[in-house]
Amino acid sequence: MTAQKRLYSILKNAGLAIYAIFALFPLLWMVLLTFKSDAEMLTTTFVFHPTLVNYEEVLLKTDYFRYIKDSIIVAGGAVIISVLAGVPAAYALARYNFKKKEDIAFQILSFKFAPEILVVLPLYMIYDKLGLYDTYFGLIWVYQLISMPLIIWVVRGYFEDISVEIEHAAQVDGYSWWQIFFKILVPLIRPGLVASALLCFIFAWNSFTFPLLLAGIKIEPITVAATKYLAQNTVHYGQMAVAATFSALPSIIFAICIQKHLVRGLSFGAVKG
Amino acid sequence: MKKLFALLLVVTLMATLFVGVGSAEGEFDWKAYAGTKIQVMFNQHNYQKAITDYGKLEAFQELTGIEVEYSVTPEENYFDKLSVALSSKGGDPDIFMTGAYQVWDYASAGYMEPLDEYITDPDYNFADFYPGVAGTLAWDCIPGHAVGSGHQWALPMGYELNDIAYNKKYFDENNIAVPKTTGELLELSKSLKGWHGGENDYGIAVRGTRNWATIHPGYMSLFATWGAKDFEVEDGKLVCKLDSPEAIAMTDYWVKLIVEGSSPQWATFTWYEAGANFGAGVAAILYDATCNAYFQSYPADASAEAGNFGWIPGVVPDDSGLTENDIKSNVWVWSMGMNANSDNKGAAWLFLKYFTGPEFMLFSGTEGACADSPRASVAESEEYKAIVGQQFNYLESLDALLPNATIQFTPQPYFFETTTEWAATLQDLVQAYRDTGSCDTEGAMKALKAKLDIAVEDLVCE
Repeated sequence: MTAQKRLYSILKNAGLAIYAIFALFPLLWMVLLTFKSDAEMLTTTFVFHPTLVNYEEVLLKTDYFRYIKDSIIVAGGAVIISVLAGVPAAYALARYNFKKKEDIAFQILSFKFAPEILVVLPLYMIYDKLGLYDTYFGLIWVYQLISMPLIIWVVRGYFEDISVEIEHAAQVDGYSWWQIFFKILVPLIRPGLVASALLCFIFAWNSFTFPLLLAGIKIEPITVAATKYLAQNTVHYGQMAVAATFSALPSIIFAICIQKHLVRGLSFGAVKG
Repeated sequence: MKKLFALLLVVTLMATLFVGVGSAEGEFDWKAYAGTKIQVMFNQHNYQKAITDYGKLEAFQELTGIEVEYSVTPEENYFDKLSVALSSKGGDPDIFMTGAYQVWDYASAGYMEPLDEYITDPDYNFADFYPGVAGTLAWDCIPGHAVGSGHQWALPMGYELNDIAYNKKYFDENNIAVPKTTGELLELSKSLKGWHGGENDYGIAVRGTRNWATIHPGYMSLFATWGAKDFEVEDGKLVCKLDSPEAIAMTDYWVKLIVEGSSPQWATFTWYEAGANFGAGVAAILYDATCNAYFQSYPADASAEAGNFGWIPGVVPDDSGLTENDIKSNVWVWSMGMNANSDNKGAAWLFLKYFTGPEFMLFSGTEGACADSPRASVAESEEYKAIVGQQFNYLESLDALLPNATIQFTPQPYFFETTTEWAATLQDLVQAYRDTGSCDTEGAMKALKAKLDIAVEDLVCE
């Protein structure tokens, strides 16, 4: 390796290291806060007396795991429903020609345009009448506004990328439509499906306005419950940091488990060749 | 037959009489709405904790047979949630926490149940509330009319005046005199930069976010002391008075106080940050709600500096000739109201009666750490004074402020819009002063006045 190439490599790695520090510092800072007492929160930076009191307060003395359970149920349920309904819808939009097809596709996408706070009052009134207020099903249903358009639009691109001749060939070989769908098409769209499902899960997990306004007594996802660590008397930054750090774990674990699909899924399919 | 009928009549009448006597002389029937379920929406607060965290809610449910479901939401999001629920007119929640300023909005919109008939309940002793406190929750719904008349829309849980808390321990150790005038407060706040050895330590903490909460505590109290007003009624219309010489001078002073004596992060400061900085020993002075500093001081482990504080009623403008007795304070009252669309008003009243009654309030004022009790029987009790009176000059400052304490704002339903604009102007002035060392306060306040005149032009004050 020449000196010039070595210098380039060093500079490149140094640049990447600086970027990594820049990108990861907020997370590192959050983790640091979890080990600080309230008394040292505002008066120390890196040198302090580490304590586990924030973990004890949040994990042992509050309903933290109930909040996490609520988040898993509503975010996970929303993704499952979106996948079950969204994938066939995406297939239909990709493969069949019918009247107003593009208008319907655009309308589905437009669900993501409306600010949540604008649509929440009519939703509240409907939910109140239907008995969906403060229920798992109610939140899972409203989260479809967040997750369904994403699944449909990403997966539709994948279906469009798959040559229709493959399906015809399978039909010639005697496959039924269901067999073609599950044995040929689903494996081909898997990267996009997994990537979009992960994004949906993260968006649903991070949703704040809907669970704040459409739940709160029996159902309390972690995004809403975490604000309670902002107590009346003081701001419990350490407890909030513990709540935030732990609440990020399910998404991180989910992402790690599907890592191999993720890069392909995010880079393929959405753009047609 | 007639004899038999007469006998039956007599027996029936006597039985009715005995039952009637039994009801009249017996205890109040707390079980009248047993089996009912009500929903309550709480803002996260010590007042809420006193109800939910000490077993009192369970006691109420056992006493009445009423099932209570509740939600607790921090203040930053609470009123968004409440406004959506009330405006849906679905009947939930049956009971909700509110403040006086929100009453101007919610009562005008028909969301709140007038409580006038309920509070005549002889067991309730409504007269025990300080009239000036309970009166802030009564209003005739006519913009520009003062609070204190009209329907009683809510019942107090606790009130807050606004005064100055300071780190007495540090002041005593360094022979620092407490300020009496605005000039002294400004110079002292400037001199306290780095007072506690930390590079981020500063003089005075006040709120600074772009909403009503920045205007209503210290700012509005000094604003009123200075002799300024927000609106006045002229020819049946509200006219903004934020361009008056007093309003401009006070605002100009406040901008200097923030830039030269407060935190560089002032614009992000809510109740929480201002109080937390004071409790942590980062700020030496706090001009905010009386109980904000109290909650940093009680109980003993409430903050790093707990137990080191003292209170004064406030300061007077330089060369104004005013004395401590002329210091005014704005009032905030946390309270509970009833949803006008509730289907369970009887049960909801029992909830209000129990949790704003003298017995519960003595508990919340002492063991529940809820300072500033609105009931005279509690605030003047030995148990209450023995706890709250431990804080240096706390009760004395309250006593000094109470004669001049009221809601210093002009009641009107666009309160939140107008105070948000006001806070935005304040933020812009602070930023300009920080950037350039000067700001055109007069120009900004005249522009604000023009904007607010338009904002309230459709209100008719009669």
